[in-house]
Amino acid sequence: MNVLDAEVRKNIESCLGRYPTKQAAMLPALHLVNDRLGYVPPRAVVEIAELLELAPAQVQDTLSFYEFFKQDKPQGKYRLWVCRSIGCAARGGEELLEYLCDKLNVRLGETTADGRVSLEYAECLGACDVAPAILVNDTLHGNMTVEKIDELVDQMSNDQCSMSNADS
Amino acid sequence: MPTVIIDNRELEIPAGRRLNGIEAARLAGVEIPHYCWHPGLSVAGSCRMCLVEVGTRDPKTGEIEMQPKLVPACNTIVADNMVLVTNSEKVARARAMVEEDLLLRHPIDCPICDKAGECLLQDYHFEYGQPERRADIRPFTSRRRDLGDVTLFVDRCVMCGRCVRFAREISGTSELMVTGRGARAEIEVVAGYPLNNKLSGNVVDLCPVGALGDKDFLYRQRVWYLRRHRGVCTGCSTGCSIWIEENQDRVWRIKPRENPLVNKWWICNDGRYDYPHVHDPRRLTQPTGRDGLAIDWTALPNELNRSLGEAGRLAAVLSPFLTVEEAYLLCKLIRGIDAEAPLAIGPVPEVGEDERFPGGFTIRAEKCPNRRGVEAVIAHFARRVATFDELLAELDQDAVQGVWVSGGYKHEWIGQATAARFERLKLLVVQDLFPSPLSERATYLLPGAAYPEREGSYVNCADRLQSVRRAIRPPAGVRTEGSLCWELLGRKGLYNARAALDEIAREMLYFSVAVEPAPEMGIDLKANLLAG
Amino acid sequence: MTHEPVLLANVEKKDSHTLAVYEAGGGYRGLRRALKEMSPEDVVELVKQSGLRGRGGAGFPAGMKWSFLPEKHPGPIYFCVNADESEPGTFVNRVQMELDPHQVLEGTILSCYATRATTAYVYLRYEYPLCRRRMQAAIDECCAAGYLGSNILGSDFSLDVYIHVGAGAYVCGEETGLIESIEGRRAWPRIKPPFPAVEGLFRKPTVVHNVETLACVKHIVDRGAGWFRSMGTPPEPNNPRDPGSFGPKLFGLSGHVNRPGCYEAPLGISVGQLIEQFGGGVWKGRKAKAAVLGGLSTGVVATAEFDTPLDFAAPMRVGCPGLGTGGVVVLDETYSMVDFLHNSCRFFAHESCGQCTPCREGTYWALQMMERIKAGRGRLRDLDLLREIGESIGIMPGTTICGLADGAAWPIKTALSKFRDEFEEYIMRTNPNGYMETEPVEALVGV
Repeated sequence: MNVLDAEVRKNIESCLGRYPTKQAAMLPALHLVNDRLGYVPPRAVVEIAELLELAPAQVQDTLSFYEFFKQDKPQGKYRLWVCRSIGCAARGGEELLEYLCDKLNVRLGETTADGRVSLEYAECLGACDVAPAILVNDTLHGNMTVEKIDELVDQMSNDQCSMSNADS
Repeated sequence: MPTVIIDNRELEIPAGRRLNGIEAARLAGVEIPHYCWHPGLSVAGSCRMCLVEVGTRDPKTGEIEMQPKLVPACNTIVADNMVLVTNSEKVARARAMVEEDLLLRHPIDCPICDKAGECLLQDYHFEYGQPERRADIRPFTSRRRDLGDVTLFVDRCVMCGRCVRFAREISGTSELMVTGRGARAEIEVVAGYPLNNKLSGNVVDLCPVGALGDKDFLYRQRVWYLRRHRGVCTGCSTGCSIWIEENQDRVWRIKPRENPLVNKWWICNDGRYDYPHVHDPRRLTQPTGRDGLAIDWTALPNELNRSLGEAGRLAAVLSPFLTVEEAYLLCKLIRGIDAEAPLAIGPVPEVGEDERFPGGFTIRAEKCPNRRGVEAVIAHFARRVATFDELLAELDQDAVQGVWVSGGYKHEWIGQATAARFERLKLLVVQDLFPSPLSERATYLLPGAAYPEREGSYVNCADRLQSVRRAIRPPAGVRTEGSLCWELLGRKGLYNARAALDEIAREMLYFSVAVEPAPEMGIDLKANLLAG
Repeated sequence: MTHEPVLLANVEKKDSHTLAVYEAGGGYRGLRRALKEMSPEDVVELVKQSGLRGRGGAGFPAGMKWSFLPEKHPGPIYFCVNADESEPGTFVNRVQMELDPHQVLEGTILSCYATRATTAYVYLRYEYPLCRRRMQAAIDECCAAGYLGSNILGSDFSLDVYIHVGAGAYVCGEETGLIESIEGRRAWPRIKPPFPAVEGLFRKPTVVHNVETLACVKHIVDRGAGWFRSMGTPPEPNNPRDPGSFGPKLFGLSGHVNRPGCYEAPLGISVGQLIEQFGGGVWKGRKAKAAVLGGLSTGVVATAEFDTPLDFAAPMRVGCPGLGTGGVVVLDETYSMVDFLHNSCRFFAHESCGQCTPCREGTYWALQMMERIKAGRGRLRDLDLLREIGESIGIMPGTTICGLADGAAWPIKTALSKFRDEFEEYIMRTNPNGYMETEPVEALVGV
């Protein structure tokens, strides 16, 4: 039973033309799979390897280098990355991270019991001008405070949290 | 010729050779320690153990200008007037740092590590490391991970990446990978896709530390009890150069012996693990007569000579596992008694097709080491090399009365039906490793030698002749084909393969370059074919 | 000193990211002119004359980088836009790509024209989703308008630009790590030589440039080399290795200031001026203690060094490697340097690719020590070990393939040399009984 459906396969194949080697389509392929499944299970690694004419170990080798891809189970509907690098840390980023762990009742890297929210730290989100910053899926939230986090968590539990910035 | 200066010594580099700092220093007798670099693999440059100082000498003024940074010798191609310094304080500090770093998280479990005694981490640390441990990091335990053909002790790994590069560049199978990054990086395979290829054993040799373990050898011997002997693999007609490692006449391990002209640094698993038959308890170790009764070796040579003389028309089957010298002596013996005796090459085992690997290594379908050498010898005596089938046809017509069959096959090689065709002979001498349908019919059944016990030369598929001394003594009761024929021919003293080869080289054009002592990498016999 | 923003000229405009607004502000006129009037060599020469140095951190002269390309190469030549801005304290590329993506693209197209590259990959970190959308929209607009694709604006120059999204690895900002990552492998930087200009992406000649560098190229073509050289700091007279620091620069100001943000000023503005003129001073009425000079990997300056000009050469006078990315993070008097160094060591240990022994183990060891110090089990001796690690890892001493380890080393070196007292005081205060221990603490505790 394939975990990659026809559409993902088609999308991966459409990336191939951008590069002179099939292996170069690795990161785009991993992103496409992750977008679709919410994670990149081991079975998907094998199927990507087949598509790109590689050994599974070559895909897994690359995948495991990058922090973004998770393999054990689908990530929450909302993936939260809380910046802990110096720009945010200096303005309370690490305290917010602790606060979120408590509030969501998860440890770093875990997903809430209802499968809604996954909490991770991030190294510098490149948003030091609006530190402390949190990336929620495709949306950056800056100048975060405990109050704004409460609001954000409420929105997420009501599914009212915007999934992406206004323009697309 | 380009000249480089290594630690104040001038070294002329052979023109046209592209050498890196490590290789050039080796020519100058200077060791540059290294983990990740290997001559057979791409350059990673990441272990940083081979750091040296590099500069250039102005050819006019002789002034030397050094670069401020250390550079890895592995990625530095030496050129005229290049200066390498490997013995400075700065280099020593860098080496000590790398050694200290590599032991930060290493379990230092040498007493239970197979690699102890031949471990670069041990050797380099002894040579270049710091005397005290300054880190307060608790070393990890010896986590063990099954990678398939080999086993990995995860925490002993120094991340040189040789094994991963081997699987990608040489075997082309790419089962191995690095997972994670930074200090969390580890060697792994994907679940369900284990390391499983015919060259996989090489990664254990490549591993500079005790991370990769050979499941066959693990915990069986301390390496310092092993003595190693130059050998030639008899698994196929590639004829890889090998080290046979033994302890008190028991073979424990086969490793590749570097030979740029045959196998480079590699051997296949077929050859590597092809030694258990040597110590197989089913091996023949007692000469017997047709009645199955034991015969004493002391009386046997005379009896054999007499029987051969009385048999009538003789024939011989020469195994492609014999050395050139053994084949020569056996031909000489048989032809000496019956000058018209047909000489046949024994069955030549063929399995599948040649297997070529991306790195250039080839496993041959012809699963014997010396068809070419034996055929050349036969051709010299008989003008015509009879096939085994042709000989069988002669037997069917009762054209011969006495046959000497040399076996030496590791696997079953003759069935009942074929063996039955030897039934009506007056004399059947069989020298072999294992009992067979043929041995049941032998007038004289003589225990033969396994390859680590033989002495002599093999000619591989590319007409390269390699000579070896014996690595172990044969088991009690076994005489090598060479020493037996030597005695039967009435030659003085012990079997002397070198003397036999001299004789062969004088008599046969094909072998005429072999008059000189053979270099370790062997001699190309084709050179003389062209001249002839 | 007043400076009319050039790089940020568009960002205040409504819909600044669209082609229409960009063109209304004079966008792509330079490209039209260059394709008509200038040969690729002319562009290379112009950029060389301008003295433009890479804005990504290393400050390598851009024109010189281009001249390393083999002269007669059958191609293809590849171009990579390094938009993997991951250096802590750095965010100016994000602002540029979000608010003025066409400026970046025009610079990219011009640079590809100059280097005869026919394919460009924008290596963009996944943490910049808005940049991704805006850049992709800009590329699509360009394709529709004939600024990208085959025979651009009727010339015989063709170019495709693709966005390649990263997946969370700082080392992808190193140019050969970036190349490896595009090729679909782990971003282990390559050993050099060969350099990318000779053998880079897909083993072909390759040029890698930072986003801001490319924006500068656009303005150099528009306004000339003379304009560019009219700003900045001339070469230091006694330093033959310093070609000078010219042009405008974007500074990302963050940390404990009243008005963090992305600001444009000529190279050579001092840390103090930046904080006062743009940042509105230190927050909460406090005094500053230190500032990260130009991204975490350049280390810190103390307040006494706030007059240091932010150009490529001057930071060396205060023990820092150079300008870095221009990301200034101000730390106020209450912020602990122990926390700072712990944060820094954690970052670099987390981001070390794991390839070179000294970086993989050195950053790990440094973090272990900082964890212990922070937890109140520090020894004075740790400070010497940390310093030794700081001095021995990196491409400066030659012990690593890439500069990540140097980046890890500078915060250690600068923090410990400038704030040693604070570290010693912290250790003696938090570990009053053990700070003189020379034996490893763990060994005494037992396993």
